[in-house]
Amino acid sequence: MRAYCLLICLYFMGGIVYAQQNYDVALIPKPLLPYATAVVRNCDESIEVKGLDNTIYRIKQATTIMNKNGDDHAQIVVWHNKGNVIKYIKGVVYDAGGKQIGKFTEKDFDDSNAAGGENLFADSRVKHYRPSMIIYPYTVAYEYEVRSKQSLNLNDWEPNPGAGVSVEKSSFTVTTKGDFILRYKEINCPQKAETGTNAQGQNTYKWELTNLKAIRPEPYSPDPENYQTMVKLSPAKFSYEGIPGEYNNWKDLGKWIYDKLLTGRDKLPEETIQKVKQLTAGIADPKQKAKAIYNYMQQKTRYVSVQVGLGGYQPFLAADVDRNSYGDCKALVNYTQALLKVAGISSWYCVVKSGSWKKSFDPDIATMGQGDHVILAIPFKNDTTWLECTSQIAPFGFLGDFTDDRLVLACTPEGGKLLHTPKYTSATNATIRKAVLDIDDKGNLRGNMNTSFTGTDYDTRYRFINSAYAEQVKNIKEIYPIPNFDVESLKLTRADDERAVSTEVIKLNSREFANTNSGKLYFKINLATRPGGVPKELRNRTTDVYINRGYVEEDEFTYTLPKGYKPDRTLSNTVLDKPFGKFTLTTKLDGDKLTYKRRLQINDGTYPKESYDELIEFMQAIADTDSETMVLAKAN
Amino acid sequence: MKLWLLFLSFGALPFGVFAQNLKFGEVAADEMSMKMYAKDSSAHAVVLNEFGKTWLSSADHTPLIHEYYVKIKLFDTEAFKYGTIEIPLYREDNDRFETVTDIKAITYYRDENNQLHTAELDKKSIFRVNENKHWDVLKFTLPNLRPGCVIEYQYTMETFRLWNFKEWRFQWNIPKVYSEYEAHIPAFYNYNVQLVGPYKLDKSPAVLERDCFMPGYGVKCDCSKINYVMTNIPAFVEEEYMTSPKNFMSAVYYELSDYYDFGTGKNIKVAKEWKDVDLDVKRDQYFGGQIKRSPVPKAVLDGLIAGKTDEMEKAKAIYKFIQNSFKWNNFIGWRSEKVKTAFEAHTGSVADINLSLIGTLNAAGIKTDAVLLSTRDHGMVNKLFPVETGFNYVVATTKIGDKTYMLDATDPLLPFGLLPLECINDQGRVVSLDKPSYWVDMVAAEKKGRTIMFDVTLQENGKFKGTMVNYSLGYEALDKRHAMRRYNTMDEYVEELDDRLKKVKIKKFDIKNLDTLDAPLIESYEVEMDGYPDLSAVKYSFNAYFINRVNENPFKLEERNYPVDRGAIYDDRFVLNLHLPANMEIESLPENVALAMPVQGGRFMVDYNKTADGLSFSHRTQFNRSVYSTSEYPYLKEMFNKIIQAQSGEIVFKKK
Repeated sequence: MRAYCLLICLYFMGGIVYAQQNYDVALIPKPLLPYATAVVRNCDESIEVKGLDNTIYRIKQATTIMNKNGDDHAQIVVWHNKGNVIKYIKGVVYDAGGKQIGKFTEKDFDDSNAAGGENLFADSRVKHYRPSMIIYPYTVAYEYEVRSKQSLNLNDWEPNPGAGVSVEKSSFTVTTKGDFILRYKEINCPQKAETGTNAQGQNTYKWELTNLKAIRPEPYSPDPENYQTMVKLSPAKFSYEGIPGEYNNWKDLGKWIYDKLLTGRDKLPEETIQKVKQLTAGIADPKQKAKAIYNYMQQKTRYVSVQVGLGGYQPFLAADVDRNSYGDCKALVNYTQALLKVAGISSWYCVVKSGSWKKSFDPDIATMGQGDHVILAIPFKNDTTWLECTSQIAPFGFLGDFTDDRLVLACTPEGGKLLHTPKYTSATNATIRKAVLDIDDKGNLRGNMNTSFTGTDYDTRYRFINSAYAEQVKNIKEIYPIPNFDVESLKLTRADDERAVSTEVIKLNSREFANTNSGKLYFKINLATRPGGVPKELRNRTTDVYINRGYVEEDEFTYTLPKGYKPDRTLSNTVLDKPFGKFTLTTKLDGDKLTYKRRLQINDGTYPKESYDELIEFMQAIADTDSETMVLAKAN
Repeated sequence: MKLWLLFLSFGALPFGVFAQNLKFGEVAADEMSMKMYAKDSSAHAVVLNEFGKTWLSSADHTPLIHEYYVKIKLFDTEAFKYGTIEIPLYREDNDRFETVTDIKAITYYRDENNQLHTAELDKKSIFRVNENKHWDVLKFTLPNLRPGCVIEYQYTMETFRLWNFKEWRFQWNIPKVYSEYEAHIPAFYNYNVQLVGPYKLDKSPAVLERDCFMPGYGVKCDCSKINYVMTNIPAFVEEEYMTSPKNFMSAVYYELSDYYDFGTGKNIKVAKEWKDVDLDVKRDQYFGGQIKRSPVPKAVLDGLIAGKTDEMEKAKAIYKFIQNSFKWNNFIGWRSEKVKTAFEAHTGSVADINLSLIGTLNAAGIKTDAVLLSTRDHGMVNKLFPVETGFNYVVATTKIGDKTYMLDATDPLLPFGLLPLECINDQGRVVSLDKPSYWVDMVAAEKKGRTIMFDVTLQENGKFKGTMVNYSLGYEALDKRHAMRRYNTMDEYVEELDDRLKKVKIKKFDIKNLDTLDAPLIESYEVEMDGYPDLSAVKYSFNAYFINRVNENPFKLEERNYPVDRGAIYDDRFVLNLHLPANMEIESLPENVALAMPVQGGRFMVDYNKTADGLSFSHRTQFNRSVYSTSEYPYLKEMFNKIIQAQSGEIVFKKK
């Protein structure tokens, strides 16, 4: 399910040679020191487009590492492969006073394969170097150049280095040959690009930024694009792996992908064509046909990723997938599309930025690098059905939190279209639990607990839903904080239809669930929820509060109390109502039945930064009630 | 380790007498129809048949040839991961590297109409990935996997590494029905063979093969052919808190003990007795050669110990100097290419750093030896045979006064005499340049000790005010110092601590001995805790476990197959002195608890006492061993159960 597959574009950078700068630590402006474990003294990045198949990235950067925690910022990591060749790397290490104490060159770097464990093969490599300094502070200055035989992907400028690092000065220069049209989007730039023409007749663009203070990480912060400086670049004419292209917008880029990367890759063997026809023969409804085909594809294939050269963007042939029964996301989408076509159903190959964090394609500027995954959209008459083709178990039409609620690029024969994937609302993403339990006077507990999961919660148990029973029991025991948790029986099910509901039915007991002490019984009344962590307090929060996805938790526990026992505590009843969420808790005693009802709803959205304190308070109050102990005493 | 260099090239004779045909390309009806593995219904896959064969080729450089064949039944999609094969291949340099040839792989599957199909691996889909300088990985994935399919693959591997022959792992994370290993060992070579794990071999017949090894020029010898067979091997299931699975997984391992060098006609002992090892190690330019002298310039060393007469003072100064002279590069090992280069580069492996330490202490006249050991991850050392490759780590040992210390300078926060927990594993071998070597128990010099003392008074406003003092000892102090170092300043550390202790607000703090590593780390805080909205009520209840609650039993399994390894010996104390206003008194206290595990394994005590103006409470948990046997598991589990229960006790006090 979690299958990235588009080639991660290689980053190129370039540098301009400057006169030797003094890196004495004493010269760092004082306001840049608080919360900084490292300070970027100077960073010059540049991209030179010499030709459509020749772009040069250079970087020259000096970073002062203030203490051990900043060591990671001294590391130098350079991606490369056949099409992106490192021309040189060199660097110098300075002590606190700015005196040179060491040098390094390319031979001091390790070189390793950069493909993650998910890939069977990918041709990207990474060079890595970490200076070994034991006295702080120290400064690492380095520069390198990468030459790339393409011009489709131009590195964006993202000068904010992340939490705990301040920046003294950072600049970005792009130079292009005369007739090259560069499109760019400036985001939160202190000033607009300085443009001009240089002595060689090249166009130049330059951005600069100075004195950026170190920030502390802020939980629930929105997309950095909302508050950090960024410049996104896009070419008009380009060349990639020898294939030329030109685009002005998403429509053109989608058209290029369709024409150059997808067309003609959908041929299937006759035998498979017949099979699909058989499979759909008795079905009239096109949607039901599509479902049958999707299920067939899921049973036949599995996800295996191989990324080489153009294969980073181009799917395997449908016939190859048919023969091997495996492929990456592109290959499986292309294959499913080919199968659907046999049944007369047209569908769209859609490029998306995947991940639980929702990230939309930018309507203002089209670039290839914004996506990393592919899904399939079927435009039926009244609704569009979305398919995740890398999962063998996803229900038909279910995307889950990997690609929901964001703008994606559909590559159609008429060109690219930005479409919005379905949103799962707070109320849909629900975990609803009911338990009926008996406690005896020794404190032992016995009962049943049933839970249903919907929306993006559907996959909550995906990690072990297909495991053997013993393994499921072991995992369930880790999930609930019930002391001496003994699972008498457990049944996990998932409906593989569009409703996407999964359920968990547990028969359980717990020896000494309630502790007896001085004749009273003590127990955690909320037996299912592990009290949540509360984000830390922040003085002077700078960003808005952003909640990426909403959800609902509903619990109802009914305890039958041992004979003669009554609660020896005030029964908790709470209502907290805030814009970002609502929490209600009611506890009721009816005869010997003690009923505990809890409902938490979190609403996604962006809230003013002032609501952060309220959010913490809200979560702390919930954590407190979730850890409440109930005391039972024998009524006199 | 450059063994093959010793063999002069005699020219190759083509030699393939062992090419016995493995039956490849057949699947039985019952293998296809199998729905689950009867002996383990939870298995996602089962190895039906596995066969390996290793022999020494008579070709150039006499490489070791290993043929591998396996047939696996995959029951469900969870098992598809066994359909992707990765073979790591070692590369010493451009002349000496491992290769794999003759890869064949087939999937047998039934389609929707129950027709049997076969799909062969496409040779183009075999990838060789260069991971780093020394390792390549050969990867391929089988086509057309379906639940219920059977996969079969085989390959031949060629290696120049003869030292460990080729080990054979009978046990894996899926069960095996049949596993057989055929080893052909020429009489020129003597290997020590070790069978690890609880399962018995079904048989291991040995036969003599005449003239099987003929590296050329008329030199030849016989081989002994042994077939090790094991059947019905259960899956290995890893448990939490366990020492290295290597200690328990059934396998056969080899270590070269001696060989006949047919070039010179001499018998070469590789390792046979400790006195041989001692000699080798001493002569080893990467070990003995590196501890003979110190990488520290004499003037620097003289400066370090100038004016110090006490041996302990000198040793500590040198230890600290070495600790602070290196940044450990995360490599372990016990051989160093050149300590001097490492010292000058300020970075090095465990061997670079600790051999420097040994050399430097000796240069200062403090007699210090090396201790070779195997870390916990690496498994126990084989004590039956002197096996150099059984070790993967080196530390220093020295005797000062009448006390022996073990030293590791890789971590600048380790106090003098404390080893990282990773090193506390079974026994180590003390190797000296001038004395025979001997075994020594690797025991932790200190435990993981913590005492937290609260002294608080209930205020008129309903809050508690007072002090919290934390004493951390041994590994606890080490962990805490590491944690504190992650913050830029102590203020930031305390800010974070304050955030974490939800109920406790920290007003002022003082941290002692942060840099005095030999002393306990003492943190003192002035604190205020939420109590009650006001003091208008008559009765109040109070729970003494307001911080560091154990919310869950870490041991959830019904029973345990392997020993529980908790790392350090553990001693945790919490003490609370609570003072009440003069108009209040204690009404009731929870019950006291005292519980001990059998054979002094550990204990747990809770003690509530009334005092003149309130109460004193103490809670102590001790685990006296780092490893507990499976038979002690229920006691360990129950002890945690009781600890959790004790936490619900309520103190009640009231107005007089």
